[in-house]
This record gives sequence, C-alpha cells and structure tokens, in this order.
Amino acid sequence: MAYRHFEAIEKRTWLLGILTFIMVSLGGLAEVAPLFFQALAVKPADNIKPYDPVHLAGRDIYVREGCYLCHSQMIRSLRFETQRYGHYSTAEESVYDRPFQWGSKRTGPDIARVGGKYSDAWQRQHLLDPRSVAPDSNMPAYPWLAKAGVDGKDIAARMRVLRRLGHPYSDADIDGAEKALEGVSELDALVTYLQGLGVVNGPQPAPGEAAKAQ
Amino acid sequence: MSSGWSLWVMALVVINMGVIFFLFLWAPHARVPILPDGTTGHSWAHGEIREGMHRLPLWWILGSFAMFISAFTYLTLFPGFGGNHGLLQWTAHGELAKNVEQNKARLDPLLARLTAMSVEQAAADPQALHLGERLFVDNCAACHGRNAHGNPLLGAPNLTDDDWLYGGSGEAIKTSIHDGRNGVMPPWNALGEETVKNLAQYVLGLSGQPHDATMAAKAEETFKGTCSACHGADGKGNQGIGAPNLTDKIWLYGGSQAAIEETIRNGRQGQMPTWSARLPDADIHVLAAYVYHLSHRGETAAQ
Repeated sequence: MAYRHFEAIEKRTWLLGILTFIMVSLGGLAEVAPLFFQALAVKPADNIKPYDPVHLAGRDIYVREGCYLCHSQMIRSLRFETQRYGHYSTAEESVYDRPFQWGSKRTGPDIARVGGKYSDAWQRQHLLDPRSVAPDSNMPAYPWLAKAGVDGKDIAARMRVLRRLGHPYSDADIDGAEKALEGVSELDALVTYLQGLGVVNGPQPAPGEAAKAQ
Repeated sequence: MSSGWSLWVMALVVINMGVIFFLFLWAPHARVPILPDGTTGHSWAHGEIREGMHRLPLWWILGSFAMFISAFTYLTLFPGFGGNHGLLQWTAHGELAKNVEQNKARLDPLLARLTAMSVEQAAADPQALHLGERLFVDNCAACHGRNAHGNPLLGAPNLTDDDWLYGGSGEAIKTSIHDGRNGVMPPWNALGEETVKNLAQYVLGLSGQPHDATMAAKAEETFKGTCSACHGADGKGNQGIGAPNLTDKIWLYGGSQAAIEETIRNGRQGQMPTWSARLPDADIHVLAAYVYHLSHRGETAAQ
C-alpha cells in the first residue's frame, strides 16, 4: 500500500465516508449486536408469570407517570447494591416487562424488589403525599391517582398485543380483563403493581435466602 | 455466548487491532511525495489551503502504541475477546461473591459476638447501636421516621416511648420485626353514627381528656360489651393481640375527637411488614437491640 492509495481515499468523500462508517461501527457491532440477538433467546424463569390485568394496568400507570425517570428496576451485582436492595436482577425476571424498566438513573432508590418492603398504607400515603412519610423526599405527589378510575376498555387489546409478542395469556385471561379492573382506582392498580415488584414477578427466595445471597 | 457470535466478535477485534498494527508498521516507512514548496500538493479552496507535511511527534506515537499494548493486555487478562474468559477468569458475579465474602469476614465476628448476647444486653453495646442505626434508617425509617417517633398517618407506632402494642421485651421486638404484625380494628359504623360519637366520648374519658360525660355514659354499656373483647373492660388493651391501651395519652392514629371517631367508624388496618425474607436473623437481632435502646436510653447510659 502506498501513499497514493490514501490519496485516493482522501480525495473521494463518499469512499472516505463509507470507510469511516465501517471503522466507527466496529465497536457497536462487537458489543451491541450480539447482546441484541441474545436477548431474544432469554426464557422466563419458572416462577415468572405475565402480569395479570391489575398489575398490568398499574405498570402502565407507572410508565405513564414517568416513574422510571427517577427509579431504576435493576439491582446491579455490586455488594453495596445487593446488600441494600436484595439479589441482583436477572434478564429472566424481566421477560414480560415491555418496555423493560432496567436502567441506572436513580434520583430515588431502586425499586426492583420493593414489593412487600412497606405496607400498602405506606405506599398509598407515599404516592399521595411523599413528604408526609419521608420528610426529606423530593418525589412529586400524585394526588390525582386516587380520584381516577382505571380505564379498562382497552386492557384486553393491550393484552392481545402482548400475546402476539409472546406473553402466554389465555383467551379466558383476556376476556376477563375488563371485569377485573372494575372499581379499581389508578392508585389501587399502581400500589398492586409496586407491591408485586420482585415478589409476584420475580424469584421468591425462601425466608433468609435473599439475605444469604447478599 | 454462542460460538458463532464469539467468532464474530473475535473477527471484529482482529480487524480493528490489525488495522492499527498495520499503521504502526507501515507509517514510519511511508514515502510521501513532497513538492519543493514543502507541501504534498493537495490543495483546497482554489489553492488557499494547502496540505503541509510533518512527521508525528515521538511522544504521540509512543502514546498510541502504549494504548495498543493496554488493549492487548486487557483482552488477554479479562473477558472481551469473543467467548474467551481471559487469564484472570474474572466475572462480575465472582467479583460480587468475593466482595460479599470480604464483608462477611469483617462483620461475622461482630455479629457472632452480638447474637451471643440477649437483645437487652446488645442494646448497651456501641457497635450494635452503630450497626442497628444503619439498618433502621435503611429499612424502618420510612414508616417509623428517622427519629423513630412514628407516623399517625400510617399507624406506625412511636418506638421511643416504651409503650408497646405487642410487648417491649427484646424477644417480643424481635418477633415483631421477624414475622411482622397485622393490627386490625374492625369498622363499627354498623352500630350507628350516634353510638360511634358516644363511644368516642367514652374513649376520650378513658384517657382523662375533656369529654361529654352524658354521651360517654350512654356508650359505657357498648364499650363493656363490645370493645372490651380486645381493649379489656378497663380499656388497658391486650398485648397478646396488639390491642392498644386506651387509657394513656399515646395514640396510634391520633387522639383528637375526629380521629377517634374515624377509627371507630371505619376501623384501622395496621401492617408491620415481615422482615425475615429481607434481613438475616443476625441483622434482626441487632435491629431489635437498637429499637430496644430507643426507649431505654437513660438505663443503657447508666449501665
């Protein structure tokens, strides 16, 4: 290879562009592409079930209100995280999370396994008026959740879409979905979802097991 | 990682590192034609901008070669070259297990010493209190508050007053933390609004607060017949089932007339979560010692 070959590249913008693109892509092709395809092959753990209508509606409210902007649901495999939050998160637990809630943006604490840590009453009070239970909290209040009922009209449609994506809902699950949401407020649904995090939809360690795994 | 993807990553790494290595070999010998004016002859903007020719400084070449060597070393020692595990066999989970072991080695002797004591004894131990405070702030403060004064909005009791719903011995506190507690006050609105209001006056009277004696007298029979099943005929409560003492000035959900009426009318559901699945037994022991200390500060200082 001689200097004139480089000269040929330098003088042809399109060729320089294509070759630059190839070199810059190498990192992504090596680090992102394999994981992207491997993620499709992840199978749910035995105890992971798709969300029932109330949990699913609660999850949609969680996403709608942007809770993920401050709370991650991903416990990293670092001691100071597992000691505080419990066993590190695994891909097998999040198979039925669309969109998934992994991330590392934490203005508030990680809530991957917050289910059962506090009472229902605490969760409700905390959502309606965070400062009344945690005086230093900078979380916004969500008072409208208690007044609004969950709109159950399109829950069946949402479940059908998820079924197409591979969530094993039966026809009976989908037919009964709207009825399951009757009289459920947005606050009820969200609290149900939060109280199930890492409990209903995650590995359920035997008493003391989570602690030992730390 | 499947072998196909492993080969894919290896190929990309070899291409990337290979191109850079080729540049190191080729560049020092590259012959660049230089015109008499010292430029390469490349020009832009109608000759206004011309390409000069200078050798790269040695420090720059050495710097990039050092980076090349570090990349090579990294891929040898750590996972990264396809499915290759690297010489150190490093994994994130292995690192976690090692850190957990190190931490256990530091804490286990301390926890062994503290769990050998009774909760009451540990409550006087500075290390137990230090450890217990961390656990309390992280797990209990959400309901009981950082200063452990409780929260009437949740019915979370004040832990500093030595008044106990389920008993204040070290073992009772440990049980409350380990297994959780569910306090249920049933709703009594079926008795009718008038009876509810009369009962509230009676309850106010029990703790010696200003009340309407006529209304209270009307409710005495109902209290002795119904409420006494849990709170006792004298209203002093029952620690066996977590029924609060109504004759003191300590209120779980507030002691105002309105709060008491609300409690009687609609009932209360108090829940202390179960901690046995989240905290190891040794941590619960230490936490109980901290909680015991909160209401025995004078005594522990005297010991």
